[in-house]
Amino acid sequence: MNNYQLMITADDKQVVLERILQVTRYRGFLINGINAKVNTGTNIGTIELLVRSERPIELLVDQINKLIDIKEVKIDNHAS
Amino acid sequence: MTNEKKLTGAGLLFNVLEQHGVEHVFGYPGGAIMPIYDALYDSKVEHFLCRHEQGAAFSAVGYARASGKVGVCFATSGPGATNLITGLADALADSIPIVAITGQVATAAMGSDAFQEIDIFGLSLACTKHSFQVTDINDLEKVLHQAFAIALEGRQGPVLVDIPKDIQITEVNRCLDKLVNLENKVKLPPANVGSAIALLNQAKQPILYVGGGVGMANAIDELRDFATTTGLPSVSTLKGLGAIDPEDENYLGMLGMHGTKAANIAVQECDLLIAVGARFDDRVTGKLNEFAPHAKVIHFDIDTSEINKRRIADASILGDLKVNLPALAIPLAIKPWQAVCHEMNNNFAWDYNHPGELIFAPAVLKEISDKMPKNSCVTTDVGQHQMWAAQHMVFDDPSNFLTSAGMGTMGFGIPAAVGAQVSRPTDCIIAVSGDGSFMMNVQELSTIKRFQLPVKIVLIDNAKLGMVRQWQDLFFNGRLSETDLADNPDFIMLANAFDIKAKMITKKSQVSAAIEEMLEHDGPYLLQVKIDAQENVWPLVPPNTANDKMMEST
Ligand SMILES: Cc1ncc(C[n+]2csc(CCOP(=O)(O)OP(=O)(O)O)c2C)c(N)n1
Ligand SMILES: [Mg+2]
Repeated sequence: MNNYQLMITADDKQVVLERILQVTRYRGFLINGINAKVNTGTNIGTIELLVRSERPIELLVDQINKLIDIKEVKIDNHAS
Repeated sequence: MTNEKKLTGAGLLFNVLEQHGVEHVFGYPGGAIMPIYDALYDSKVEHFLCRHEQGAAFSAVGYARASGKVGVCFATSGPGATNLITGLADALADSIPIVAITGQVATAAMGSDAFQEIDIFGLSLACTKHSFQVTDINDLEKVLHQAFAIALEGRQGPVLVDIPKDIQITEVNRCLDKLVNLENKVKLPPANVGSAIALLNQAKQPILYVGGGVGMANAIDELRDFATTTGLPSVSTLKGLGAIDPEDENYLGMLGMHGTKAANIAVQECDLLIAVGARFDDRVTGKLNEFAPHAKVIHFDIDTSEINKRRIADASILGDLKVNLPALAIPLAIKPWQAVCHEMNNNFAWDYNHPGELIFAPAVLKEISDKMPKNSCVTTDVGQHQMWAAQHMVFDDPSNFLTSAGMGTMGFGIPAAVGAQVSRPTDCIIAVSGDGSFMMNVQELSTIKRFQLPVKIVLIDNAKLGMVRQWQDLFFNGRLSETDLADNPDFIMLANAFDIKAKMITKKSQVSAAIEEMLEHDGPYLLQVKIDAQENVWPLVPPNTANDKMMEST
């Protein structure tokens, strides 16, 4: 199992967390931790997602990136 | 000042539909969508009442696939909305642009387990490309424009818009005169073709692997130019059928589980695989780590997430095929390999010799294919008949062969044919169905009757869930569990009950005349073709096996 940390920025839509969680589970990544907040000034949400999986993290990054409300996904570390 | 009458949300919906050129929608009314059906009454949009929301969704899919336009379907809240889900899933798997509009209980009642309330927005997350729930009337117009844009942009797909009943009746000013232009979210860097060109030039035994993405990108001409200029031997996925010119002498047919022997062997032996709008689906690859084991891979796609998903690409070309295919169209020196492929094509050609009186389905489908008018559109259901249609019918465009490829959904064929016929009223639309699948959306015969759609239905009747029976015989020791359909209804009487002319044939000697009668008939027609229940689809690559270890007819 490898551990990864993702930094996601997204439009502030109520459903965006649900979408990220659904994709993460479906694509075979387990969640170790999550931290999410919204900047009410800019209406941009930031989500810090800690996940682990046997699968390469690029698979998840590409899938989260495909979600319409997502602005950016960054891999913060490759710690394992 | 003019005292212009204000629009309601429902009226605005039809305004936006008309703005997007929507002429036809498929749907089914109910409580939470009544304001929309009330506005429909005054609209220019023509509504086709289906007899099940799943039928409406598949008709929208068939409409989109046959015409290249966005398919639109309506359903009410709760059970109406959940009945759409299989159609949305099918559209997601095959990347089909449809917009589904669902009614929802009023915003004040939402979240209270109200009558016919279900969280369709939540349910949509796993079966749509994107979805919206409109809780502020001022968002409605923009959301509807976005729904159409998202359905069509990049890799196409289904979009759901859930509209609560109070939003449908709230008055609103139209604010946007023009369609919003969505800034393209995915900004792809210009493709780097250098390394791909090098791979092409080095290859001695390259194969072009064509998927459904070519048709979706409307890049048939570019693909055919690419195939001609390079001289590449080619294979197709189920959804890609029709993209390669079927007359191309380098074309080897469909690959995968029920692919041709020539296609599968050529792919296993190739040293370079050029995947174009294809996604290395498990039905294509067989045992993944033994698929095309000697090949480097060039992968063309519009969807970044398909690159390296199931097979690492040595070069990836992201973006629009219409732009990227011409950039790689260079002549290749591969004469000896072409000759090997031609020889396989000759050696492994289909054999239509079949002993006995009983009808041989592959031969019937081939004869229909030979006799059907140009520009006919064939839909299928799912099972043996689907694979026989894919193997033995010839298509010159992917929009002329509509089959549930990614999801493999029984019940697809009849409603998809309804949608195809509505979009192409003068073309011949033929639904190839099986006796099991036919019963899954049999209520849509009523839609055929209601709109007098001249759909031709070829019912390949083995009185079995044939494909499952085949697997039980081959891989489950012949333990035939729940696959016998000897108690099927009288299909002729059933068709007649919907004013559909019908005929049953049981012997080879009846085939030609029956096909001609069906094709010449003006209105809808059902041809029931009784076949031997023991027939299998060959070749067959057993599960989790390399594609060159196929089983063949004995
Ligand atoms: C909705 C759905 N349920 C179950 C299946 C599994 N399945 C695949 S093929 C098949 C048998 C189809 O029977 P029929 O339509 O008569 O076609 P045949 O194989 O006999 O030609 C079944 C049950 C499916 N593909 N779709
Ligand atoms: Mg059958």
